[in-house]
Amino acid sequence: MTTPIVEMRGIEKFYGRIHALRGVNLHVSKGEIVGLLGDNGAGKSTLIKVLSGAVPFTSGEILINGRTVELNTTNDAIDAGVETIYQDSALVPQLSIARNLFLGREITRGPLGRLDQGQMNAVASDLLRRVGITKNIPPTTPISSLSGGERQAVAIARAMYFDSEIIILDEPTNNLGVAETQGVLNFVRDARDKGHACIFIAHNIHHVFQVVDRMVVMRRGEVVADDLSPKTSTIQDVEDIITGEHMAA
Amino acid sequence: MTDEKTSAPTGAAPPREVDFLRRLSATPELGPAILLIVMLVVFTAINPAFISLNNISNALTFTVELGLIALGMTLLMTSGEFDLSVGSVFGFTAVVMWTLINSTALGMPLAFLIAMSVALAIGAINGFFVTRLKIPSFLVTLGMLLVVRGSALWLTSGFPQRTWDAGEQWLAEWLVGDFCIGGAGDFCTGGLRVYMSLIWFVLIAALLHYVLTRTRFGNWIQATGGNPAAARNRGVPIRRVKMLLFMLTSALAGLTGIISSIRVSAANPNSGTTYELEVIAMVVIGGTALMGGRGTILGTVLGVLILRLMRNGIVLIGVPGLAYNIFIGAIILGMMALHSALERRHNEGT
Ligand SMILES: Nc1ncnc2c1ncn2[C@@H]1O[C@H](COP(=O)(O)OP(=O)(O)OP(=O)(O)O)[C@@H](O)[C@H]1O
Ligand SMILES: [Mg+2]
Repeated sequence: MTTPIVEMRGIEKFYGRIHALRGVNLHVSKGEIVGLLGDNGAGKSTLIKVLSGAVPFTSGEILINGRTVELNTTNDAIDAGVETIYQDSALVPQLSIARNLFLGREITRGPLGRLDQGQMNAVASDLLRRVGITKNIPPTTPISSLSGGERQAVAIARAMYFDSEIIILDEPTNNLGVAETQGVLNFVRDARDKGHACIFIAHNIHHVFQVVDRMVVMRRGEVVADDLSPKTSTIQDVEDIITGEHMAA
Repeated sequence: MTDEKTSAPTGAAPPREVDFLRRLSATPELGPAILLIVMLVVFTAINPAFISLNNISNALTFTVELGLIALGMTLLMTSGEFDLSVGSVFGFTAVVMWTLINSTALGMPLAFLIAMSVALAIGAINGFFVTRLKIPSFLVTLGMLLVVRGSALWLTSGFPQRTWDAGEQWLAEWLVGDFCIGGAGDFCTGGLRVYMSLIWFVLIAALLHYVLTRTRFGNWIQATGGNPAAARNRGVPIRRVKMLLFMLTSALAGLTGIISSIRVSAANPNSGTTYELEVIAMVVIGGTALMGGRGTILGTVLGVLILRLMRNGIVLIGVPGLAYNIFIGAIILGMMALHSALERRHNEGT
């Protein structure tokens, strides 16, 4: 087996007295989509916030491409190749597609930091075509006039553009219609096929089954299964593991 | 909503009326621009003296001073915060400078620098409370308003400070000097007297417009106000952005206070009272969103002109000056209704 792109080892996280992560191990390889499952409060969001540098962890180790990394800020994580797409906090509705794509990584010229709008718009148009938005949407369109699926597409396009090693999607299919969900799942597959590793979190287990290569289940801050395949497990099996039914049986 | 969008045919041209509304909602300055033109036409029709050069230059002098504060406030509000302490900083900074000049051997330039540092420090404290202690800017800057106004009164025992030896200073000339365009004599007969504050206003407006719309920092300001969590996730230093804008706004309030004190030859510890409200009115009339994310310097310039012309115009057309606030209030309410209707349209993605 090749070295995983991302490896988290023995991650512990306390929020005051709450023990949110209890020695979590997680690895994701190149070209792999891993579904992260678990009931409310299982620790999924906490785990990815740790990986994206948004919250500090108590102990443990994170390796990217086999090397230990310090992820103290979201900038550290982005620089290390970790792109996180949060559901409501991915994009700025008032800003254009191009400006969102380059937010925090703007292309500038001169000492005043003048934006190179021409360059940014050109890259944005190209990206929109590459993620399969064939409709004629100019890159200067504000995000607020895009549909939910188109917004996810922009966020995914951004992760692909910045050559991220791993793309994390926290509930990307929430509140989307049927067609738009399929669109987003396609973008995720596309990202995997271009060599990005992906972590996919969704409460809708049917969406997870459609797109992932492997499933990891968390319960009360621990990983209770990490090698479930949608080919060999049924939805019912996985649901039982999520709720802990399989132990009662 | 979302389905509508994906199924809509993309090539078809929308009806003309929809097209106009869409343009209006994408250009927040259009509403105030139309209002300004209507006001000019109505006031001039009623009293042709309104459009005279003299009237315009008189009207502009005081207005652009307040407008300087409004420019800073525009950026601050775009980032999602506002500052109620600007009126008291306006009064206090001038008092500090003149107290130093009158009671120490410091020259004017040094006293000016110290007073401006005080204004910057006040902005930094506002920023610290808002960004680090996470207290809403309404409460922080309301508290600061009282502290700063109280300090001005305490420092002066409530008496205005003497300012009469300002005239021959080069710094004073730079700040409030005036020159005459096309006129003659000491009174600039037949010409237009332009004060330096107008030059400062135009320069700073142009600079801040450029910063807000064309630069990386401007992008960060809009992102900070539009979706702070998204901005933070992309590594935008939102606390530093807000901190800088609080300091900028406070510095402009202090500078304005000093300019005004030299022009009227008095540094009164009470001056600037309620200016914060007038400044915020200028900004929101121009189309900057009170909740952040969208701001326009051009709109603020229009808002500044609208408030000023209103004050001037209603007197010229014979409405008692005391009724001024009724008109201002009505304009604010009307403009807010317009902007929020447009904002809703915009967000619905029509
Ligand atoms: N900022 C916080 N402060 C204190 N406790 C927190 C914080 N964030 C999460 N927790 C706690 O940590 C535990 C794990 O929460 P987390 O949000 O990671 O769960 P989740 O698996 O993402 O749940 P969901 O499916 O509801 O999103 C919960 O007990 C939660 O209450
Ligand atoms: Mg969660």
